[in-house]
Amino acid sequence: MGKDDSGAKPPESPRSGFLSRYVFSTNHKTIGLNYLWLALFSVFLGMAMSLLMRIHLVWPGAHLPILSSLGSSPDRFAALTTLHGSLMVFLVLTAAPQAGFGNYFLPLQIGAREMAFPALNFLAFWATVASLLGLTTTFFVSPQSGITLWIASVAVFCAASLLNALNFSVTTIDLRAHGLTLPRLPLTVWAWFINAILGMLIFSILLAACVCLLSDRLMGTHFFPVLNFLSVQPAGVIANAVPILWRRLFWFFAQAEVYVAMLPCFGLVTHLVSTFSRKPVWKERVVVLALCGVGVFGFCVWGQHMFSSGMNPFSPLVFSLLASSLGLPSLILLASWLGTLWNARVHLNTAMLFALGFISLFLSGGLSGIFLANHDLAAAAVSDDFVTGHFHLVMGVAATFAILGALFFWFPKLFGRRLNESLGKIHFWITFAGVYCVFMPMHWLGLIAHSRVSPGTPLASVAAAASSIRAFITVAIVLTVFAQGLFLINFLWSLFRGDKVLDRNPWRSTTLEWSFTSPPPADDFGANDPVVYRGAYEFGVPDAAEDFVPQHLAPACPEQSERSRTEIRGEIRKEPI
Amino acid sequence: MPGTTAVPDIELIVEDIGGGGGGPTPPAGGGDDGDGGGDDRNRHGKWSPSPKRYSTAIAIGIVSILIFFMALASAFIVLRRSSELWVTVRLPPVLWANTCVLLASSFTLESARRRLSLADSSGFRKLWLTTTVLGFLFVAGQLIAWRQLVAQGVYIASNQASSFFYIFTGAHAVHLLGGVGALLFISFRKFEKTKISLPTAAEITSYYWHFMDGLWIFLLALLYLGK
Repeated sequence: MGKDDSGAKPPESPRSGFLSRYVFSTNHKTIGLNYLWLALFSVFLGMAMSLLMRIHLVWPGAHLPILSSLGSSPDRFAALTTLHGSLMVFLVLTAAPQAGFGNYFLPLQIGAREMAFPALNFLAFWATVASLLGLTTTFFVSPQSGITLWIASVAVFCAASLLNALNFSVTTIDLRAHGLTLPRLPLTVWAWFINAILGMLIFSILLAACVCLLSDRLMGTHFFPVLNFLSVQPAGVIANAVPILWRRLFWFFAQAEVYVAMLPCFGLVTHLVSTFSRKPVWKERVVVLALCGVGVFGFCVWGQHMFSSGMNPFSPLVFSLLASSLGLPSLILLASWLGTLWNARVHLNTAMLFALGFISLFLSGGLSGIFLANHDLAAAAVSDDFVTGHFHLVMGVAATFAILGALFFWFPKLFGRRLNESLGKIHFWITFAGVYCVFMPMHWLGLIAHSRVSPGTPLASVAAAASSIRAFITVAIVLTVFAQGLFLINFLWSLFRGDKVLDRNPWRSTTLEWSFTSPPPADDFGANDPVVYRGAYEFGVPDAAEDFVPQHLAPACPEQSERSRTEIRGEIRKEPI
Repeated sequence: MPGTTAVPDIELIVEDIGGGGGGPTPPAGGGDDGDGGGDDRNRHGKWSPSPKRYSTAIAIGIVSILIFFMALASAFIVLRRSSELWVTVRLPPVLWANTCVLLASSFTLESARRRLSLADSSGFRKLWLTTTVLGFLFVAGQLIAWRQLVAQGVYIASNQASSFFYIFTGAHAVHLLGGVGALLFISFRKFEKTKISLPTAAEITSYYWHFMDGLWIFLLALLYLGK
């Protein structure tokens, strides 16, 4: 708020300067793109950090030019881990699929010309930038003030996410185009909407928790007794406890973040799978219900986790029950993806490859998740490496695959050019093999670390195996990170030199954003407001000129539109494709 | 929801209320959850977003704020149960007067809206300003309550109960000040050039204000019963 002056300027007039066009713009497309740039910057920063961490793990003595000037205490390593986690989780996994793609494409897909509250959108974006700056600064200050700053930054991020969630839900509820009823919404929009509601709930709680934590640290209150316990310990104990505290806080927040990051990815992947299989989403309604289920269970699991991590020792039982019940909606989603792929003539382009990669990673990550959802097994199998492997596979990498798939899919819309397909495929296969080589052995490491304590094991051989696995992981990480250079090259090259998209609808997709030229003109839909006549996934329609019918295409006889639409839907159901 | 097929189409055809000038800051900005704002320049001429979005936003914002306070309340209840050394805070008597002031303000707000619907502009303005003054009085009363507690030597860090007292009253006051801002906005803003019409603005402000009222009753009951 208070940005009325800047908002009053027309942000898209070509004569206006850089600042009013990109910085002070309240336009949803500019803000969405800004989020994507922010995520791109953060993902490369975060990847560089993971590289540093692995190098440090394998060659602890190595002196790295930037880090040695900051001192090489264990605190530094913990701070690096925290920064890697916070950047990736908040700025990449949370911001890119929801705020980035969401801000850009939610209004376009529902036929609105702007988000419901553009000024709030603007405010949320710059609060996110402020929180990125705060998170990054924590690395350069002392651990004690670093933690305070970190919590404050997370609180700012929470506030920004709340503003975003408010904007997204109101936009979806009130700004849909004429004729776009809820059953006709694309599943991407459903996912963004449900995620916004989920975010509304959990970020409020997170904000309350942050307020309590901050008041503990700054005003000496006693909301979290653990912190008081730490502060009365002798100095040496604090030094050891601080990294653990950092890690605890990281997990405390990450539990909520998993579902917030995954939900929009489910939507994106379902959309891609349907579009490139040229088939309607199998059991679309059930998929929407499953998405709601992920939202509801995700909220409950997180609420339980909040208690189990600090307050109540009895809640792990409930927590594990709820965590297991998250498997049901996930299974439904998986069944729908496979059902859509069944007997389909799949277009295996890079976007689809990434969507399939997401499904594969989600499946294998989910299998190891079964271990973790069960409380007893988790206690036995959980060690750092096992959790790290599981978490990265299912959340970090899978979500990144969904984001990349969406980027390959929407790049023509965003910039009017295509990403290079062959370079994209090479990038995909190296990354796909790479992440399996990195995170699968981490599960073994976790199990080996556990077996080390069992009696009668030859310690030396286990340790040797573990260290060779560690080296293997590090080599795989180096390769995978450098493979991302391919993506960067592809991205930058295609941005300026890529094949121009001449067709309005290069993927022959059904949703509204493909009904006008790319990149979108200033007045997206032109003079006339779009009207929607049908569902979002009418692929493989018999008697149609092509194998799909766009949502904005009016039926042949308008007066019978209602009837013919139900007929078309019925035929799709009956047709064994 | 997927089960319901007969969802009515959303009508986006609304009369053009905005003249295309600078965007207003709509009322009912609520504290840190920021449920307010939005300057929609009418730069596309024809298209103007549904005016229903304001009431939707305030409803969602209210739910969000409610969750925020419920999280604090559940922490209060859990810590109250588990703590053996719970030192109670004697609630300052001025709180009861404050509660009456806040309840009265809800009443004057509704009377003001009735005046507005009767097209009695001056009566509306008078009652609306009364509401605003009562809102300020409430916040001042809360500050007096804090001063009284400090005079007794009860600080925020004294014990868990006092921490909760200060956090509850402080967070509520911050959110209420957002409501006061909305009241002031409606009092002094000319509504000829804004996207939002005066009755709509008054309506959603009243939702927010009554919510703040109810929330305060809830918090007071919690603090009173939890001692």
